Amino acid sequence: MEVQIEARSLTKNFGTFRAVDALSFDVKSGEVFGLLGPNGAGKTTTLRMLSGLLTPSGGEAFIAGHSMQNQQQQARSALGFLTGDMDLYRRLNPVELLTYFGQLYEVPKATLTARVDKLVEAFGITEFKDRFCEKLSTGQKQRVSIARTLVHDPEVVILDEPTTGLDIMASEFILQFIKKMAQEEGKTVIFSTHHLDEVERLCDRIAIIHQGKLEHYGTISEVKQRTQKENLADAFFQLVN
Amino acid sequence: MRTKIISAIFRKEIKEVLRDKRMLYLIILLPFFLYPVLFTLIGKVGQSQQEKLSSQTIEILLSPELQGTAIEDALAQSEELKMSFREFDRSTIDTMSNGIGIKLDAPFDQTMQNKGTASIQILADQSKDLLKFRSRQIRTVLQGVNQNLLKARIDEAGLNPEFAAPLAISQVDLASDEQQAGKALASFLPMIILMFIFIGCIYIAIDITAGEKERKTLQTIFTAPVKVSEIIAGKFAAVFTVGILSAFMNILSLMVAMMIQVKFMGGEVGSFAISIDPMGWFWLCLIIFLITVFLAALTLAVVLLANSYKEAQSYVSPLMMLIIIPAVMSQMPGMELNSSTAMIPMLNISLAIGAILKGGFSTALVGMVAGMALLYAVIALFFASMTFGNENVVTGEKINFKSLFSFRKS
Repeated sequence: MEVQIEARSLTKNFGTFRAVDALSFDVKSGEVFGLLGPNGAGKTTTLRMLSGLLTPSGGEAFIAGHSMQNQQQQARSALGFLTGDMDLYRRLNPVELLTYFGQLYEVPKATLTARVDKLVEAFGITEFKDRFCEKLSTGQKQRVSIARTLVHDPEVVILDEPTTGLDIMASEFILQFIKKMAQEEGKTVIFSTHHLDEVERLCDRIAIIHQGKLEHYGTISEVKQRTQKENLADAFFQLVN
Repeated sequence: MRTKIISAIFRKEIKEVLRDKRMLYLIILLPFFLYPVLFTLIGKVGQSQQEKLSSQTIEILLSPELQGTAIEDALAQSEELKMSFREFDRSTIDTMSNGIGIKLDAPFDQTMQNKGTASIQILADQSKDLLKFRSRQIRTVLQGVNQNLLKARIDEAGLNPEFAAPLAISQVDLASDEQQAGKALASFLPMIILMFIFIGCIYIAIDITAGEKERKTLQTIFTAPVKVSEIIAGKFAAVFTVGILSAFMNILSLMVAMMIQVKFMGGEVGSFAISIDPMGWFWLCLIIFLITVFLAALTLAVVLLANSYKEAQSYVSPLMMLIIIPAVMSQMPGMELNSSTAMIPMLNISLAIGAILKGGFSTALVGMVAGMALLYAVIALFFASMTFGNENVVTGEKINFKSLFSFRKS
């Protein structure tokens, strides 16, 4: 399988504080990759470097074979990125919002309309598609947010805590969609969450970060084996404590 | 830069602005109604106040020597002046709520017979509108009496009336009605224009930068394959458009209000017209265009440093001073557009707009102001691009001002 995401010795310093320390991993096409770590471990900083929001102090990030530092336009075109730090434009409705981002990604006009219609249907947005985003519930907003990351049909999707704050129904919908995205459409997904049960259900491989360093990188069964624990939660606690 | 991307960003920003009722109210509805309502209200209140002053009576204390004189006769013509004759001093007038004293320093009849000068003092508290108004009225009456007495003396001496007036001075105002109107407008219009361009810019600039950071929507666009320069251009075009629209609406409303006022005061609306030749209009539009570019870029760059509405507003207040102070300075006596003042930011704009409105401006100086405005606009745009290029600004982290001037790859 082709490597779609590659972190090569990614390092980020904020003044004298090193938030991420020479992180290296890769994610292959069709894979759902879990990025785990306690609060402040450096997950969001890593994801921000992968998306080009932050410039690494050292190392390099590659998306679909394009360097995020030197071929940013191409790398970003291949990436759909969503973090908990992102919200929707208040006074646009979901269709307008999806169309706007489609235009930013230079999706051809004819394709864009069809793509927006497809996402509206796939994410169950139809009933609130004409409502301003500020009027949507948390679950509805999250559906629109994920649809927004997919409007340009990216090869790589990075989702930072996509189920945070959602009820069980909305979470399940999103998890199923992530699974379908990877399995049926061959998309590469990095999935960051604090819900380890979701990781066990979805992820093929994981990376556990602690204090900016990579503590574990491999399959879930490998981490269990390494820590001699029966479930991922116990293995995780052992590694980060 | 791709115009399609810039256009998409611009259209999205404008669409959101047009859907914001507060923004529409502030930029279109408020100015549309504010000035006509305000001016009409001020006119009505002013007129009723004037009528009230004209009908209110006051008490006048006069030195007893003035009783039975031409002065008493003249003052008696006004029913609003209630006269009483007795000795008094300054403290007596002070204790009266609405009183004026007319004090004589020598016997009146004797002084007149001796062809001398009777010194008369009008004692009034000039800080009170009514007393100021009445003391002016009394002074006019006394000047009339003085003229009559002088005429009598001249006749008695068998002299020509011209004897007491070796010079007949009259003043001819060469300024046309248009120039007068231009001068009146030049005293406040530049400040109004600058302030409202700025206010229009501030509101949208905060909304689409610090507001977006607060609402967590700014980062999203930075993950798309969009160049920083395209984001700046799209957002800048939106701020510029609202700034110009705000200025236009305010000026239009102001003009309508002033014409209503002229009509209300019984004047001809046509006489209010200002005379600006086509070249003047060209320079006026160019300067307003350039200063809007400058203010749009400046506000965009400054408010982007903030992470919330509240923080952005605290950054904007000092900027407001930078506009108001030079605009006020431009109205100081002797302050004119010359090669030195043409270099001073904002002051030069106020003076140039003023000069164009008054007419007879120097094209070289106004051109120099336009050149300086262009330079400031370029500097402000450069600063805005530096600010946008900073990753801490985009991610809403604490901003390191030293790192502001390092380019972000786009």
